[in-house]
Amino acid sequence: MTRLHIENLQAKYGEKLILNNINLSVEEGEMIALLGPSGCGKTTLLNALCGFVPISQGDIFSGDRVITHLPAEKRNITMVFQSYALWPHMTVAENIGYGLKVRKVKRAEIQSRVNELLRIVKLDNLQDEKVTALSGGQRQRVALARALAIRPDVLVLDEPLSNLDAKVRLNVRHEIKALQKQLGFTSLIVTHDQEEALVMADKIAVLHKGEIVQVGTPEEIYNKPNSPFVADFMGAENRIEWPTEKDGFSDSSHKITLHQSSNNEPSNQPKQVYFRSENVILSTRQTNSKIQKEEGLILTGHIEQSAFFGSNYRISVRCGMHIIQVDHTSDLPMNTPVSLQVPNHALYIYDNIVENKVHQKSTVV
Amino acid sequence: MMDSKSTLTTSFMLKLKHAPTHISFWIQCSFVVIFALMLIGPITNLLLWTVAETWYFPHALPSQWGFKYWQQVFNPYSDVSGSLLTSLLIAILTVCVCLLVSIPAGYALSKRSMPFRVFWMILFLIPQAFPNLTVYMNIARLFYEFNLNGTLLGVVMVHSVHGLMFSIWICVAAFSATDPMLENASRNLGAGPLYTFFHIVLPQAAPGIIASCIFVFLESLDEFTGTFFVGAPDISTLPLLLYTASMEGNYQIASITALILLVPSILFMLIINKFMKPEMLSKLGK
Ligand SMILES: Nc1ncnc2c1ncn2[C@@H]1O[C@H](COP(=O)(O)OP(=O)(O)O)[C@@H](O)[C@H]1O
Ligand SMILES: [Mg+2]
Repeated sequence: MTRLHIENLQAKYGEKLILNNINLSVEEGEMIALLGPSGCGKTTLLNALCGFVPISQGDIFSGDRVITHLPAEKRNITMVFQSYALWPHMTVAENIGYGLKVRKVKRAEIQSRVNELLRIVKLDNLQDEKVTALSGGQRQRVALARALAIRPDVLVLDEPLSNLDAKVRLNVRHEIKALQKQLGFTSLIVTHDQEEALVMADKIAVLHKGEIVQVGTPEEIYNKPNSPFVADFMGAENRIEWPTEKDGFSDSSHKITLHQSSNNEPSNQPKQVYFRSENVILSTRQTNSKIQKEEGLILTGHIEQSAFFGSNYRISVRCGMHIIQVDHTSDLPMNTPVSLQVPNHALYIYDNIVENKVHQKSTVV
Repeated sequence: MMDSKSTLTTSFMLKLKHAPTHISFWIQCSFVVIFALMLIGPITNLLLWTVAETWYFPHALPSQWGFKYWQQVFNPYSDVSGSLLTSLLIAILTVCVCLLVSIPAGYALSKRSMPFRVFWMILFLIPQAFPNLTVYMNIARLFYEFNLNGTLLGVVMVHSVHGLMFSIWICVAAFSATDPMLENASRNLGAGPLYTFFHIVLPQAAPGIIASCIFVFLESLDEFTGTFFVGAPDISTLPLLLYTASMEGNYQIASITALILLVPSILFMLIINKFMKPEMLSKLGK
């Protein structure tokens, strides 16, 4: 059953168009991540859903209810604010019980629900604490408990992890996901961190300049980005543009070839190729045998820089005008001549019909 | 005996050692004392008058001391008690009027989307831009036509016009300092605008509002010119009484009245000191 349905939504700040043509459906019990760089309109979309930003066009349905122009208090969509927005003049328990008090629930009932939530978010014994006395991670949990207390139709979370330090962040990330599985609430989570989105969400909607450019499961988004923007945003940061005549591959030690198995289109047709550093197979000239088959993208060049990343080395290889980032298990000395191969399945190739127009739907190889 | 003597000498030696610090200490002390005398001198004079029963000109001190005038003042049927009650009543009513106007107005003006925001805020300053006397004489003339002269209502209105300047500006500052996200969070959880205002916004702005009440209260207690033009002679407040007493040469009554007027000011300054947050004022300009 569709819990939340957004249709052709458009929102503006004054004359400035912030969101355009947003279409999205959230199923009951599903967690969808809204992923996009900062400033792309993620917070605005949540605000529009919660009724804090007027909607200039389109419709929002909660179940069968049209909530497009309802006032904020009638929507039953609760938000975990990026800044938490806890009320400093209230205790933890009063913060959590507020929504129930507004609904005139009996005091004893509020008390038991608050206790239940405190247990769920692991804050037992802190009910009488002032929220100003809590740590960032604890405030986050109070905000979550407060939003869940009234059993909302949809829970939206605005970058819930961005204000936490790295270690706490991993814990809370895991806890939110576990809670969502356990309680089964429908939720939209906003993030600018692709890893967060991949780990937490059932589905990801990638937002770019106020429009949704791709919706899919984490696997689909990761493996089949439908546009150069999504490919780049999902970590395929190496980019080569065809034709490559001007890119300095004339030298005998810097070569580039693209072998596409499927169709024999001329390799000089304008296109963009994206790939991840982890998919590049690096071999020094001596161990050239590693490249068994003339397949995929093959480059030759020399090592310019190497950085230790803990689990591996991030090696920058100069190939003509380009610097290709490669993940490699061992360190290599500077200026070592190397050859690189990227298998076809790891290449994201887009027709470069309209230059720099990212929204363009492109063929995926 | 010997022991204590030896400790005395050693402590004396120690004192000598630290002599330079002591000298600067005494210099500091004398500065503080001189400064205090300049402040307290006039007040001392006033205090002396309150306990002087007879004090004629060439004498440096009163010739007869006593609390005769205190009894006179605190006699429940005296002018002073009556004026004190009137003053308090007027001050409390003025605070109520100012609160009723400045809480909604302050909240509305704190929203940046409010049209003509600056215009409205300046409007409340305008009465202060003209000389007090001119303003109050005109108000008095106006009140004549509505039969408001010499009535409690008239005086409260005059005091409110004066008090609103403080209360509006302080309330705007107090409401501007509240986080709009806190309001959003309340609406988000199902509370309507009114419920949100009373349960979230008002508690956040409370310190500033209390401070504005105190200012208005004090201003009303001390107000002279407006009360004189609009209220006298039917309405007598403490400042008016003080004025009449001084004119009649009744310095004892005048001094005791002045002292009574001093008490709330000092009390409330202490409270303001506790409640006023400097951040609030910084939000005004935004
Ligand atoms: N109150 C506002 N008034 C005008 N423009 C705004 C306002 N809030 C955000 N914007 C603009 O809307 C765009 C999207 O902002 P936002 O939704 O906060 O982005 P995100 O949450 O994805 O980082 C930005 O370009 C920002 O400048
Ligand atoms: Mg944001």
